[in-house]
Amino acid sequence: MALALEMKGISKYFASTDVRANDQVDFAVEAGEVHALVGENGAGKTTLMSILYGLVRPDAGEIKVDGQPVQIHRPDDAIRHGIGMVHQHFKLVPSFTVAQSIMLGMEPNRGGFLTPNEENRIVSELAERHGLPVDPKARIRDLPVGMQQRVEILKVLERKAKILVLDEPTAVLTPQEVAELMRVVRNLSQAGFTVIFITHKLLEVVRVADRVTVMRGGRNVGSKAVAETTVPELARMMVGREVLLKVNKAPRQPGPVVFAADDVSVTDVRGFPAVTRVSFEVRAGEIVGIAGVSGNGQTELVEAVTGMRALDGGRLALNAKDATSLSVRQRRNAGLAHIPEDRIHVGLNLETNLDENLIVSRYKLGQFNRAGFLNRRSMRDFAIDVIKRFSIAAAVPGGGISRLSGGNMQKVVIGRELAGEPTFIVANQPTRGLDVGSIEFVHRSLVDARDRGAGILLVSVELEEILALSDRVLVMYRGQIQGEVDPATATEEQIGLLMAGAQPETTAPTA
Amino acid sequence: MTHDRLKRLDAFLIPILAVLSGLVVSVILVLLTDTPPVEAYRILFVAGFGCNELTRCALFTTLERATPLILTGLSAVVAFRSGMFSIGQEGQYLLGAVMAAWLGYAIQLPPVIHPLFIMIMSMLAGAAYGWVPGVLRVKLGVNELLVTIVLNAIAVLFAEYMVQFPLRADAGAVAHSPVIDASAQLPTFLPGSKWGIGFVIAVLTAYAVYVYLWRSTPGYEQRMAGQSKRFALFGGIPSDNAAIRAMLISGALAGLAGSIEILGVHRRIMSAFSVGLGFDGLSVAILGQSHPLGVAIVAILFAGVRLGAQLGLQLEAQIPRELGGTIIGLIILFVALRKFYEGNLDRLRDWLVRRFNRGQARPER
Repeated sequence: MALALEMKGISKYFASTDVRANDQVDFAVEAGEVHALVGENGAGKTTLMSILYGLVRPDAGEIKVDGQPVQIHRPDDAIRHGIGMVHQHFKLVPSFTVAQSIMLGMEPNRGGFLTPNEENRIVSELAERHGLPVDPKARIRDLPVGMQQRVEILKVLERKAKILVLDEPTAVLTPQEVAELMRVVRNLSQAGFTVIFITHKLLEVVRVADRVTVMRGGRNVGSKAVAETTVPELARMMVGREVLLKVNKAPRQPGPVVFAADDVSVTDVRGFPAVTRVSFEVRAGEIVGIAGVSGNGQTELVEAVTGMRALDGGRLALNAKDATSLSVRQRRNAGLAHIPEDRIHVGLNLETNLDENLIVSRYKLGQFNRAGFLNRRSMRDFAIDVIKRFSIAAAVPGGGISRLSGGNMQKVVIGRELAGEPTFIVANQPTRGLDVGSIEFVHRSLVDARDRGAGILLVSVELEEILALSDRVLVMYRGQIQGEVDPATATEEQIGLLMAGAQPETTAPTA
Repeated sequence: MTHDRLKRLDAFLIPILAVLSGLVVSVILVLLTDTPPVEAYRILFVAGFGCNELTRCALFTTLERATPLILTGLSAVVAFRSGMFSIGQEGQYLLGAVMAAWLGYAIQLPPVIHPLFIMIMSMLAGAAYGWVPGVLRVKLGVNELLVTIVLNAIAVLFAEYMVQFPLRADAGAVAHSPVIDASAQLPTFLPGSKWGIGFVIAVLTAYAVYVYLWRSTPGYEQRMAGQSKRFALFGGIPSDNAAIRAMLISGALAGLAGSIEILGVHRRIMSAFSVGLGFDGLSVAILGQSHPLGVAIVAILFAGVRLGAQLGLQLEAQIPRELGGTIIGLIILFVALRKFYEGNLDRLRDWLVRRFNRGQARPER
């Protein structure tokens, strides 16, 4: 079959965040197929599609549509070449009608005056032609999310798109709406449209797609026919790592329980349940890994454990004392350390200097606080000490930190968090975006803290990292602990299945 | 890190470049008059900052007029640095002024005690008026910018009402309150201007604000919460308390400005007392890079240019004094373009570092 779309050697580097979002990506889609584009958050799939749609200018690479090289600088160019995009967050005006939304910018008119009846008629015909019934006069704000998405799809179809890009289209849908969307996507494909389906849910891939491309770390790690692959294989491709990480560590010597979560439930920013009735314990001297595809409640769980988000239900205990309603500061004083997943916006304040960054969780302590005034000398001494102990060569006491590399920034975070000899450490994606050397440093620091007697909760979407470091592994799926495995004996396939939502001890779902 | 050290110079370089750009562009307007630009600027400068004899010294009047600007500017600095975009200085300033005008004649206290007590009461009035947008922001998430705009309008009308009715001294054409007691007045230094103790208080306050924000733990909390809410949350900094505290302090400083303007300059409050000194404080804070030292310098510059335009350009050269306002407006416009300067300064700096550090280790990207 002919290629509907070919992207070659696409590269994009974001200087502001020091991320190589796309690195020499080749991506090809055949005409009339449903092509799933999968990968973790931050794997580069959204960047790739933003480049295709003219929202982001690539540093290098070329794009061919139907075999012809094209220049896409703006969304207008993409639309002209028959590429349409349905964004994850819909771009609709709540007070508009369905017809107004679909015809926005191309309204039928007579001598400059709008003709609403004509508009409604065009939309009705369009909807009928594609088998996507809608009420053209309904207001967007009155429609359920699934119908709003249908309006977005019709909007794209009305603009004569032949290639439809659906960015994480199921993220906001109910299971019933998902089933309906799958049917719509299959129908569109049969009618000759090419559909690119961005997702990180692997079960959806096997349900709807003909072919699948997996991205990881800004690179295309492989394209396969869905019939020739399995969910565990895709999971491995998604989370695997080129460098096999080996961490030397002594057998664990578990001590008393340092942290316990009992029946914990948490809601996310939008008010939806993100963590549902989760219970687990972390003992002194052990690393408990939480594996799972990102977006399955790990972020919310970590925020609840560290005090950044209120619980919906359940209890927390820190060093055998109730910590359910303690503030962040009280938890930190009780021995908690937190290495957050977002070091740039959460773990550090890039607008201030190193010294002030290092005292954020302990500026109230006598060491730095002299009758309400900062003790700048001991701040400076502390900075010098942390730089030495964690060999942060590039950092300067009293100097800025915004120009440090990602690895050195993470060293600053880890130096601050581990300096106080914490008893319980929460590390969320501690090596994301780091180079191999920095990864080794982070892993070594965590294992050392464990051997010193700290309990560690390690959250990571990197399966190999979880397996290399953890003494026990819990797998999270849709806000729940799907199962516990022993990293010494578990296979990646076993964990991959749990990550994809299979019940423990069952076989792979069939496509 | 040569780069870091050079970067710190920006705090001074950008306002200087902005002022120069503003003056250069203003030349176009001066050319529309008959006065040569160099002559016009000379007149402006002499009338704003000159000093021939001690009793008729423009510089002293400039310092007098800079006093409320310093304090309202500091008020804005405290709010901005704490992540609160409050423009409520005008309203807080007016409440402080009304409080001072009233207590200045309504209660009898010995000298020194009287003005001190009044200044504290004015600060409390301003703080209370700052607390409202702070608490609305923290508890209900209401945008403090909108609330302070509305509160300013209320304060203007409230002050006017107080002058027209409860505080009105007589049935004269322009409503005004009784002159405050001599015991409440702040002393001035020299005849010929109202430059006095108030200015000293303002300068000491600028230093106190610097120490508070950069050297104290509550100030640290406010700055961290202002720079990154999520970092503050992560580190256990109570950013809600910090925001409310910022608004209380910000309000108190603006209230103090109103108090000093009454006790030290006007000695009573009159109809249409508000001439936008609170809003000028915003401009001063922005132009002064949200730093107390910058605020003090810019407030004096600001007051001088305005005085020079009024007394020099208007009276001597027959150039409308609005030119002074226009120059200030242009300067602020160029400060708003700081991204332009930053971008070019960054490029210049990179070039310099490359040129002079050749062969040495490059600073880490």
